Amino acid sequence: MQENDHILRVQDLKTDFKVGRRTVHAVNGVTFDVRRGKTLCIVGESGCGKSVTAHSIMQLLPPNGTIAGGTISYYTRDGACEILSNYKRSGPRMRAIRGKEISMIFQDPMSTLNPVYTVGSQIMEMLKKHEKVSKAEGKARIIRLLGELGIPNPEIRYDQYPHEFSGGMKQRIMIAIAMICNPTLLIADEPTTALDVTIQAQILDLIRKMQESYGTSVILITHNMGIVVEIADDVAVMYMGRIVEFGSVQQIFSHPVHPYTRALMRSVPVLGMNKDQELAVIEGTTPDASTVFTGCEFAERCECARPECFHRFPKDTEIEAGHRVRCLLYEEGGEENG
Amino acid sequence: MTIRKKTRNTSLAKRSWQKFIQNRMAILGLIGLVLIIAACLAAPLLTNYDPTLIDPSIRGLSPSREHLLGTDRLGRDIFARILYGGRWSIMIGVIAAMGANLLGAALGCIAGYYGGKVDSVLVSIQEMLSIFPGTLINMLCIGFMGKSVRNLLLIFTFTGWPGVMRIVRGRILSLKQEPYVESCRANGIGGMSIMFHHLLPNTLGPIIVNSTMNVAGYILSEAALSYLGLGVPDNVPTWGNIINAAKRLDIVQTLPMLWLAPAAAICLFVLSINFFGDGLRDALDPSSK
Amino acid sequence: MFKYILRKLLALIPKLLVMSVILFFALELLPGDALSRTMPPDQYQALSEAQKVAAREALGLNAPPVIRYFRWLNQIFHGDFGYSASTGQNIGTMLAGRLPYTIELSFYGLLLATAVGLLLGFLSAVMKNTIVDYFCTTISVFGISLPEFFFGIVFIILFSVQLKWLPSGGRMPVGAHGFFSRVPYLVLPVMTMAISLTAALVRYTKNSMMDVMGKDYIKTARSKGLRETTVSFKHAFRNSLIPTMTLIVMRLPRLVGGSAVIEMVFNYPGIGNMALTAVNAGDIPVVMITTMTTGVMVLLSSTLVDIVTAMLDPRIRLG
Repeated sequence: MQENDHILRVQDLKTDFKVGRRTVHAVNGVTFDVRRGKTLCIVGESGCGKSVTAHSIMQLLPPNGTIAGGTISYYTRDGACEILSNYKRSGPRMRAIRGKEISMIFQDPMSTLNPVYTVGSQIMEMLKKHEKVSKAEGKARIIRLLGELGIPNPEIRYDQYPHEFSGGMKQRIMIAIAMICNPTLLIADEPTTALDVTIQAQILDLIRKMQESYGTSVILITHNMGIVVEIADDVAVMYMGRIVEFGSVQQIFSHPVHPYTRALMRSVPVLGMNKDQELAVIEGTTPDASTVFTGCEFAERCECARPECFHRFPKDTEIEAGHRVRCLLYEEGGEENG
Repeated sequence: MTIRKKTRNTSLAKRSWQKFIQNRMAILGLIGLVLIIAACLAAPLLTNYDPTLIDPSIRGLSPSREHLLGTDRLGRDIFARILYGGRWSIMIGVIAAMGANLLGAALGCIAGYYGGKVDSVLVSIQEMLSIFPGTLINMLCIGFMGKSVRNLLLIFTFTGWPGVMRIVRGRILSLKQEPYVESCRANGIGGMSIMFHHLLPNTLGPIIVNSTMNVAGYILSEAALSYLGLGVPDNVPTWGNIINAAKRLDIVQTLPMLWLAPAAAICLFVLSINFFGDGLRDALDPSSK
Repeated sequence: MFKYILRKLLALIPKLLVMSVILFFALELLPGDALSRTMPPDQYQALSEAQKVAAREALGLNAPPVIRYFRWLNQIFHGDFGYSASTGQNIGTMLAGRLPYTIELSFYGLLLATAVGLLLGFLSAVMKNTIVDYFCTTISVFGISLPEFFFGIVFIILFSVQLKWLPSGGRMPVGAHGFFSRVPYLVLPVMTMAISLTAALVRYTKNSMMDVMGKDYIKTARSKGLRETTVSFKHAFRNSLIPTMTLIVMRLPRLVGGSAVIEMVFNYPGIGNMALTAVNAGDIPVVMITTMTTGVMVLLSSTLVDIVTAMLDPRIRLG
């Protein structure tokens, strides 16, 4: 693959959190690429580090979190490479990227909008920050975008406050904030988790529609396999701060190899499946984030675990072009387990 | 599931204590409190002077080896007055805080649990009472009732309850929504029993913190009232009453120890209480880490 | 917004009425002849028993309490609060002469405390764990832990006795007029008055700011690529003010009540001083009316702060 195909390349990213006197490795050596114009889904249980990965890219980690290692490279439209992980958290270069090049939507729309400003002014703030536009021109553009996002009466809604909007409408406003400057990459951190099921589909449709009309690349973070199969081009499965399997959506869904991925798939109901068929349950619970491992993090819950899994860290193994897995079963010399 | 055994099985009290002792300022506050209270209780061991004995031959002395902080205009040893005065000041603060908080907690429980008319009456009284400046209400009551330690304690108790009442009422209102109260009622447990056995213990944390902080507040109030000459009778040495002697500008200048020393005592004690109370608040708040 | 202000002002009426009812019956319950409070004491002394009976009838003091209450309310509206038992002065006149002084003192005290308290609180939250933060925290800790009059004494010694910059007390030089001749006399009392509220505000604003800085919309603001100063000032500070305003409302009675002590320290002729003199002279009606007056002051100023809060928070304004 050529460099030009990528918009973002994350290599061996490590993010640490200081909790009291302990250090927790929330993200522990994550590597992946985002292809231009495509959608990457990062899936995993809560606490697996998927959200932290997204926040690391944007350098929006809380004060006790730091990028401890690895590089995040962002390739601009004209092919220049910006090493985001070298930029200061709130320095001018990072700020020029945020919003303009990469923008982000968060999980809970009830709390992501500032309650004391009108939604119009909150979108305008983003536009004014990155583009030179007149007030009237900007307002027209915002109202047009709000219309595209399916907000009725955008002219009136423009001057209203967040508390006058429902959750789904607020998330549309968030999308408007994120999209108003035509970013090349949109990071959506569980954008539908806090919403009603019916609204979820609408919001996902909107994200897809925005992607199609503006050619934006998307990183979508979710724990919902149903969403992944619908929207993803590439999939990264995360467990305990590491990517255990990475591949295209076809590779992951038609030929999942990592025991965790397979367990995850079996735990999801599929439309048309037999009513009497029981859903599989992944045994055990996610270990505490500060647990120290001597081997594969999943071994404790893995149905295919072998004694060596507890003592040796698996390495990334490419089993097919673009399909990577991090499991001892597939390492050189390892035998495939049927 | 077997993983669960890793979580530490500690009681709430133990965890609160652990949280408390990790807070350096809180420990400092606790040490300060213990030292000051011990010094006041051990006053007869630390000084040989009678705090109320007037001796015209040693009026207005500067600090010396015999009189560590000098003497006041009536020849009373300031160091002795501060130690014995601390007994009064701290006692007034503690009793007033306990009185106001007990009354406020009881009224808050009643208002929160029974709701309806009882609640709205109590809340309006509470609102009315909290509009008026405490200092002036206290002055007014003292004017009515006369100066005495007992009157002061009564006044502090009867004007001090609104704050606690509001806290307790709010807690009770939210606790009432909890399913366990519903199940108590379904099991036929009486109102009083639910209130005192099931609701009140859950509001204990905020009440304890508030009482602690109030001790400091009442010591400051007593000092202000005594400074105005409307606190405790002149023959009772409290920290506020000692400063009261330093009202005239010439005395302020010639006998700095007369007001600096009791002010330092008040400051140290109130600081200790505040640090201790802050630590207590953090330790008892289940939502804080 | 207009509707909100109107609603707030209307809500004042029942509160003021309740206060007036309390005051009326408190005065009624006082021992002594109600007639004695309607005229100067010397005039009362001069009356014969028969004249007193006639005067009571003429003034309607034998009427039922409800009627007397409304008559009394009407008098109050005309500034007639009766007469002081100790000095024989008209209480309304006494108040008119002193209330403006206390209002002036409290208003500047509130203004200074709010300005300094919010500024220091904001700075210590933004520059957490720096010298600025430690400095502000130390100031606020001491401000909370010492009685106000102590600061008054220290200020007098420092600025008035030692440095001779400012007068140690009083209201203005004899025979002087105008605001600027008052300023030197206001500086120290206003500073003293502001200290405790400032200390509380620094602490509260800092906590409130830290709280807001952890909110999701701050992350949104950062994700827009805004400067950190814009994020903390425009997005965090304005939101952190909303709970802080509640603290100010709660502390208003204490601020006004503090005037009694401060007016005594600086020998400032306000109503606190008036109440103190009255208590010492056993003149309970004067103290009661003064206390009520301060209550009304608190009520009006908390309405004002509520309106400011509504300007800051659309949820209150439109809700």
